[in-house]
Amino acid sequence: MIDRHDVMRMARLARLELSEEEIDQYQEDLMRFLRSGQKLQQVDVAEVEGTSHAVHVAHELRPDQVGTSLRQEAVLSLGPRVEQGFFRVPRIVEGQE
Amino acid sequence: MSKVSKGVLGMANYDTVIGLEIHVALLTDSKFLCSCSTAFGAPPNSQCCPVCLGLPGSLPTINEKAVECATKAGLALNCQINLFSKFDRKNYFYPDLPKAYQITQDAYPLCSRGFLDYYVDDQLVRTEITRIHMEEEAGKLIHSGSSIVSSDYSLVDYNRAGIALIEIVTAPDIHHPGQARLFVEQLRLLLSYIGVSDTKMEEGSLRVDANISLKPKDSDLLGTKVEIKNLNSFRALEKALEYEVSRQGEILDQGGTIRQESRTWDDRAGRTMSMRSKGDAPDYRLFPEPDLPPLCLEPAWVESIRASIPELPLERLGRLEEQFGLSRYEATFFVHYPDFCQIFFDLAEYDLSPKAIVNFLMGDYARLARERGHLDARRIAGLLTIVKEGLIGANQEGVVLDALFSSEKSAREIVKEQGLEALRDSTELQGVVDGVLTANPDLVARFRSGESKLLGYFVGQVMRATRGKADPEVVNKLLEEALS
Repeated sequence: MIDRHDVMRMARLARLELSEEEIDQYQEDLMRFLRSGQKLQQVDVAEVEGTSHAVHVAHELRPDQVGTSLRQEAVLSLGPRVEQGFFRVPRIVEGQE
Repeated sequence: MSKVSKGVLGMANYDTVIGLEIHVALLTDSKFLCSCSTAFGAPPNSQCCPVCLGLPGSLPTINEKAVECATKAGLALNCQINLFSKFDRKNYFYPDLPKAYQITQDAYPLCSRGFLDYYVDDQLVRTEITRIHMEEEAGKLIHSGSSIVSSDYSLVDYNRAGIALIEIVTAPDIHHPGQARLFVEQLRLLLSYIGVSDTKMEEGSLRVDANISLKPKDSDLLGTKVEIKNLNSFRALEKALEYEVSRQGEILDQGGTIRQESRTWDDRAGRTMSMRSKGDAPDYRLFPEPDLPPLCLEPAWVESIRASIPELPLERLGRLEEQFGLSRYEATFFVHYPDFCQIFFDLAEYDLSPKAIVNFLMGDYARLARERGHLDARRIAGLLTIVKEGLIGANQEGVVLDALFSSEKSAREIVKEQGLEALRDSTELQGVVDGVLTANPDLVARFRSGESKLLGYFVGQVMRATRGKADPEVVNKLLEEALS
């Protein structure tokens, strides 16, 4: 069961601002996901090996070699506010003793 | 909160329980999952790419050197290396995390169940390592105020974001702040021995989060723990933990309860402060990292890494004490300064006593070598050998040592060129002694009438006349004969 409260919490975690209508819509959508999941739970998987990844590939490691990075201007152009080559961000935590 | 006073009932009534999480940046040229440089000190935000910034469509690939370093650390810390491990995505919003998620290892870490043995006040103690996992480093925040809590804004540099890290997690079996410091000091030394990290705390290569709680003495129930984040010096680690012992002890004494929270250490103010983030308690919504397949290692590869591990600090300490007869103090010096230790081992190959080598290396040589770099062991051996043979007197050793640092010549060549050979030929010295006595008839008379301390003056004059080369024993003997 997913209620409106769950949807609002998920939206908050994802930093999404939802209207009242959207909350209703997502609640309904997510309930449908859940029902599909419940259907899958009925399948007997006792004999099936666990899957840790969608595709069966062995890892490929990369040699430790330095390549090219983006130019500083290109990187800084991605942020709304910069200062002396840094991104400037507002107060991070509300603290107290 | 009321002012914290130290040494209140808190200390006496409670046991302190500390567990540590140590983040160590691995010594790779490129980042963990992309090929950006890891060099320290570059202009901010100049070592970033679509992968470490998490731009859409980018795909991470694992740096093999990072896996090698992490495995080596695990083996040196007596861990089990898990041949199957995998990566997870830890989701959260924080300004130092450009992707809004961190790639880490959750349920299947690379290493588990290890330990580190180390000395606390001459007692060998063991701290269990619960796990070591690989993950990405975050960016660097520079706060406008003295701590994150007092800052109106912060500046972010993502050059560090994506550097390969290991997080070493200990069991909560550290019992006081001083022990926590000793553990981290030993861990840092071990990591530098195996060369997997530069371990520079001042550059953020090794940082500690400390979990600390108090429990009533003899109780089995753990108290509520507080996490102190981002301690980046030994001093900060010890001071922050000491502060928490007092703070928590006082709250408990007054019948209060400890709030489970993250706190930050304000070094200038000398206290920890709560850092309650806005909104909910963290919910990382971990899920399998879709962009990286599991990491599957071959046993033979793990064994090849094991074979590359050099002698570790504790083994070395034991060898210096047992094989060479060094004191704990001396052995600890050499364990902490591997460059001096290497020279000690090189010199031990020559026919010299360990005691003579140790006294030499820990004496004036240590100061000179720190200023001017080390001498070749062969040249030092030359000096110690002629001292042992008695070719030069003890007071000439310093002169030859200076000359060794400022030229390429051997000790023997220096002695010969500067005519520093010890004078112990009685006939030759007799002339000098006679000369000194003849020049000071008044003093000789005073000596003979009982001022025996004047003997030292005569010895000094003979040494001066021979530029310090005279053998003091022979001089003493000749003077006593002449004055009797």
